[in-house]
Amino acid sequence: MAQIKIFGYCDRLSVKPGDAMNFMVSADGTDRISAQLVRLIHGDEHPTGPGFVEREIQSTANREWPARKQYTQVGSFLRVADPQNRLALSESFTVYAYIQPTLPAFNVRQALVGRWSIDRNEGYCLGINPKGYLEFWMGDGTEVDYVGAEIPLVANVWYFVAASYDAQTRRVTLYQEGMLTRYNSLLSKVTPYDYRSHVTEPMRVKPRNQDAPFIVSGAQDWHELRGHFIGQCYCGKIDRHGVYAKALSREALDGIRSGRELPKDGLVAHWDTTKGYDARGIGDTVLDVGPHGLHSVGYNKPIRGQTGWNWNGREDCFRLAPEQYGGIEFHVDVMIDSNWEPTFAFTVPESLRSGVYAMRLRAGDGTGLAEEYVVFFVRAAQPKAKVAMLIPTASYLAYANEHLSFDAQIIQPMAGQPPIVAEIDVEMYKNQEFGLSTYDRFIDGKGVCFTSYRRPIVNMRPKHRMSSMGCTWQFPADLSIIGWLEAMAYDYEVLTDEDLHREGLAALAPYKCVLTGSHPEYFSEPMLDASEDYIESGGRLLYMGGNGFYWCVGFRDDQPWIMEVRKLDSGSRAWEAKPGEHYLQTTGEKSGLWKNRGRPPQKILGVGFTAEGFEESRPFRRMPDSYHRTVSWIMDGVEGEVFGDFGLARGGAAGVELDRYDLKLGTPPHTKILASSGGHSDNYILVVEDVVYMHPGFGGTQEPKVRADVTYYTAPNHGAVFSTGSIAWGSALPHNNFDNNVSRITKNVVDAFLKDGPLPGWGWIADEKQWR
Amino acid sequence: MFDKVWKSAAWKNPQDVWSSAGARSKAALHPVGRLRWYYKWPAHSSNLWRLRYPFTRRNVLRLRGVYNPKSLRAEKTIVDRRPVYWVLGLAALAAIAPFVESSTLLAAGAIFGIYAAINLCWMLIVGTAGIFSLASPAVVGAAAYGSAYLSIHYGLPWWALPFVGSGFGLIFGTLIALPATRLDGFYYALLTLGINELCRVYVVQSKLFGSATGGLYGADSYFPESWSENHQLLLGFYACMLLMIGALFLYRFVNGTRLGRILRAAPEKKEAFAEATGINYRAARIRVFIISSIALGFIGGFYAAHFRGASPSLFSFDVVLLMLAMIVIGGLGRAEGAVVGTLIVIFLEKYFLEWGPMRLILIGFIMMMTVLFLRNGLFGTKLQFRAWRNKKKSEFRSTRSEKGGEMLPEEATETADKDQIYFRRFDKMQRDYLKGLIDDDVIEEHRRRPLGQHSEQLERLLVYFRRAGQVDKYAITMTKPFKEYRIVALSGQRGVAPRLVDDKIYTSENEAYHAVFLRRVQDLLES
Repeated sequence: MAQIKIFGYCDRLSVKPGDAMNFMVSADGTDRISAQLVRLIHGDEHPTGPGFVEREIQSTANREWPARKQYTQVGSFLRVADPQNRLALSESFTVYAYIQPTLPAFNVRQALVGRWSIDRNEGYCLGINPKGYLEFWMGDGTEVDYVGAEIPLVANVWYFVAASYDAQTRRVTLYQEGMLTRYNSLLSKVTPYDYRSHVTEPMRVKPRNQDAPFIVSGAQDWHELRGHFIGQCYCGKIDRHGVYAKALSREALDGIRSGRELPKDGLVAHWDTTKGYDARGIGDTVLDVGPHGLHSVGYNKPIRGQTGWNWNGREDCFRLAPEQYGGIEFHVDVMIDSNWEPTFAFTVPESLRSGVYAMRLRAGDGTGLAEEYVVFFVRAAQPKAKVAMLIPTASYLAYANEHLSFDAQIIQPMAGQPPIVAEIDVEMYKNQEFGLSTYDRFIDGKGVCFTSYRRPIVNMRPKHRMSSMGCTWQFPADLSIIGWLEAMAYDYEVLTDEDLHREGLAALAPYKCVLTGSHPEYFSEPMLDASEDYIESGGRLLYMGGNGFYWCVGFRDDQPWIMEVRKLDSGSRAWEAKPGEHYLQTTGEKSGLWKNRGRPPQKILGVGFTAEGFEESRPFRRMPDSYHRTVSWIMDGVEGEVFGDFGLARGGAAGVELDRYDLKLGTPPHTKILASSGGHSDNYILVVEDVVYMHPGFGGTQEPKVRADVTYYTAPNHGAVFSTGSIAWGSALPHNNFDNNVSRITKNVVDAFLKDGPLPGWGWIADEKQWR
Repeated sequence: MFDKVWKSAAWKNPQDVWSSAGARSKAALHPVGRLRWYYKWPAHSSNLWRLRYPFTRRNVLRLRGVYNPKSLRAEKTIVDRRPVYWVLGLAALAAIAPFVESSTLLAAGAIFGIYAAINLCWMLIVGTAGIFSLASPAVVGAAAYGSAYLSIHYGLPWWALPFVGSGFGLIFGTLIALPATRLDGFYYALLTLGINELCRVYVVQSKLFGSATGGLYGADSYFPESWSENHQLLLGFYACMLLMIGALFLYRFVNGTRLGRILRAAPEKKEAFAEATGINYRAARIRVFIISSIALGFIGGFYAAHFRGASPSLFSFDVVLLMLAMIVIGGLGRAEGAVVGTLIVIFLEKYFLEWGPMRLILIGFIMMMTVLFLRNGLFGTKLQFRAWRNKKKSEFRSTRSEKGGEMLPEEATETADKDQIYFRRFDKMQRDYLKGLIDDDVIEEHRRRPLGQHSEQLERLLVYFRRAGQVDKYAITMTKPFKEYRIVALSGQRGVAPRLVDDKIYTSENEAYHAVFLRRVQDLLES
């Protein structure tokens, strides 16, 4: 019997009672799965904590469902809707494109532009052969004929390539010219490459065009179980490209190449990849400016807003010079949306209390890969509770299916430990179908900037541990905060980043007190604005983690399940965007650190990212300011100076990633540091954005900035922010069954935040007249 | 958990290994680089070009442009030079023939052409299809006898004989193809040998086929009676050359196309694997048998027209053995092997007739030397030489360089990313230094507390271990949550799962961390 594997996702992450949602499941080795709705309470199985806790909930979905294996289209491409078959050319024609291949000699065939059917050997296509030479091929269904360029393509260099077929002479002429400038390519003109090749050969076959669509960066293939899909996807950029219904001469192609006017005669389509930009970015449709308007649509998010062949290095954003930003980046291994068929639908019952839920799917013995939790978050139809937890789904997306332990050489020195991988991590690593996270690189080394939740996310489920860090991370770690809210018997509700992004302040306004997740690292501008407005208007925020409000991300209104980030300039970044590609395609704003856009996290949270180290956590030690009566109530019930010398994340409340107070970065001047950690190992190193010159001694044993600060400040209208400054804080809460000093401090703050009117200690603000 | 760090031994300066007093390789560093003494054409750059062989999709000589890795000059390389050698070789043979005085030599040349053609067809079966059939001479003989008989008794003209022969070949070939799908290897060879012998005994004893005259003679021939003997010999030579060229084309079109690829994918003892990948090797084998038998029949018919009949020696065992010698000397599975092997053996056998049986011993000796010292006949020597040179190269290098040590100039020429050359030097220095840090104390320190702050000595070791490349880098897998851990090695290749390195089970995280550390220490000390 085959091993049973179940993977699933749902189409909506944040729902309200009454909302309909679909569950998409792929089941291998079984044709039936049983579903059970569960409420998730705690997700960290570490033996020193309460373990995994779920509660089964009655629901109409609790039954067996038929399921089957579902297939996933990997690789990005553009598909042209061509109902009139105008591109099914069998007489003379020409195809051309500007290209910048990143992995030409990849030992697989890569299709650039054409209408090619892999399974039927039909159509025509301009592409790159497995040895890395430009090649044009066409077929009549039985035989395929090829013309290859003489000289291989050089990686990361711009080219103008074309193939023209003359039906009279039955010759194909291949055209390849380098387009290298001072700015646009990896190499300079001082490198003595001659990029040119012009080849002509007679063809034995005439192209026959049947069912294949016109694809840019791919060709249609067919499989018995799967049906039609796209294969031979390409790695690299394609700028403007087009098709003529005549064999263009060398001179005519020279004219097109130079970027001057297009000859009108015979033009079938010219996709002007620079058209369609506006101040809010650009979508997935590439406009054809030819006579027929054969627009193409991107699948798996071909990356736009990228520098084109004519980028001059002066303009650094597509908003300033869209005509220089025609580059569209394609990848053979990108997967954004699984696009599976729904396995079953589910309507959230009206009676369902707001909280964290999952559809537990099982088959066979229901262990290992035969068990899947499809997590979703239920908001209140009408907010009633005073406490809310803001679930950092944007950050979950950023880390969704990260491959760091397997692919990133930096991860073991960063984490200071060898990774502990689980079966599910290996399964994810083996299959491209799970897609990548924004911490990964594509096979050609380019960074991943898009991520989505319309795919199975193996690390957004209870019990999962981040292999490289040896602790829970993001969602399963945040369940420790949920577990604490349950244990303290607060009447709480949850909402997600998606809601905050869409609704802004209105999403937070009903709540007296809001808790963040343990690592709310990724924030869009509307999210950041809403958080800021909430505090300013009297809201009370508990920042329950570390390294929050850090990266600037974007969502498009029509695709809330897709997030974009560009990692650049500084910050702890898994990759670095190329020059001129620092702006979000989805919104037109500059990505990177919020700090670099004038909004360091300290301005809102009082603390901001300062160090990370992962392998060991430390306790906090009270700071003298915690004895001041404005804040001393927070420490009620805490014995001694030291607290948090325990926890599920490496045995301390201060660890994993740390934040610090910094007036120079905008910490409100009246903020008090209640406690700080110290004595971190040298594996905790000051973050790179705080370093201008390197010098020895940035490690935890020598650098004073390597610490976590617990801070508190009051905001207008009785608002306040309490920040823990450490990711490990949340994982310390469950210690001793939630009865511990970290839990006590958090409870002191939440209890105080829930009361209307002035906060405790508000009156102790007179000038100090001290005798001691 | 937060106890004091367990302290271990004294400090050593990591720069010491870099000092001039540090250990250095004593390897002599010779200049490398090879002068290009021949001319290479530049690529065509912006000039339009390209030639194809007519009616094919193939470019002449498969010229390929490459960037010279040392100068980045775009230049042309002939990927396949064999067509040049064929044309030159065949042209030389054709050009020399009119100046050959010796009639023995010309007659031998004609026989060479016929036998080369037979061997090429046979090669399709023994080389391409990998079936050890010894029945090819029998097919030729049957066709020769059959067509000669029809010519003698029914007056068939000479030009019809090869086609009639093809018919005989088809029938005979089909008969011997059938057992080939059931028998393999040695048994099939025996069977075909038996068939051969049967034919010989039959024609020797059969009155119909001239048991009295020692053969069947009197068939029509293409030699014009009016021509002088020398001209007739010359004509015979050219005709046989044409026959051989025809066989070469046949060989090329079977071996170099789909059928040939299928057959080469399904050699003997690998049939099951080929079948599993969807190859119908039985149909392919029957096809190649039939194709080559028709061709052998054609040659048989030509033989009858050339020699005006047929003789029982066609079937004799010594002819089979001689043909075997031709193929073995030339090299199995190559057209040039079949032709040149035939050339050598026929030349020795027919030209040095006065040597008597000694020449057969000479042929046997050459064959034995070929089998003993060459891997795949004369035409395997190029690959064999390269393999031998590579072996010598590695031996030579291993005597001079240290494993994992600094690259020799020779090795540097083979490294495209010169950064790797420096990395090798740096890594060597690191390891030399770090090896000196390993002692019982440092291991005990790690055992007590694998994570967190350590002594500088241990920290340096750990940083080195952790920043190693991903290929075969150690990691841990949790087989039972918090109860069972095992050590794996990462693949460093996306999509390839880590492999378990042993079957040891560790019961705690710290135990597993320490086990990884010990493995890394061991790897370091062994390097």
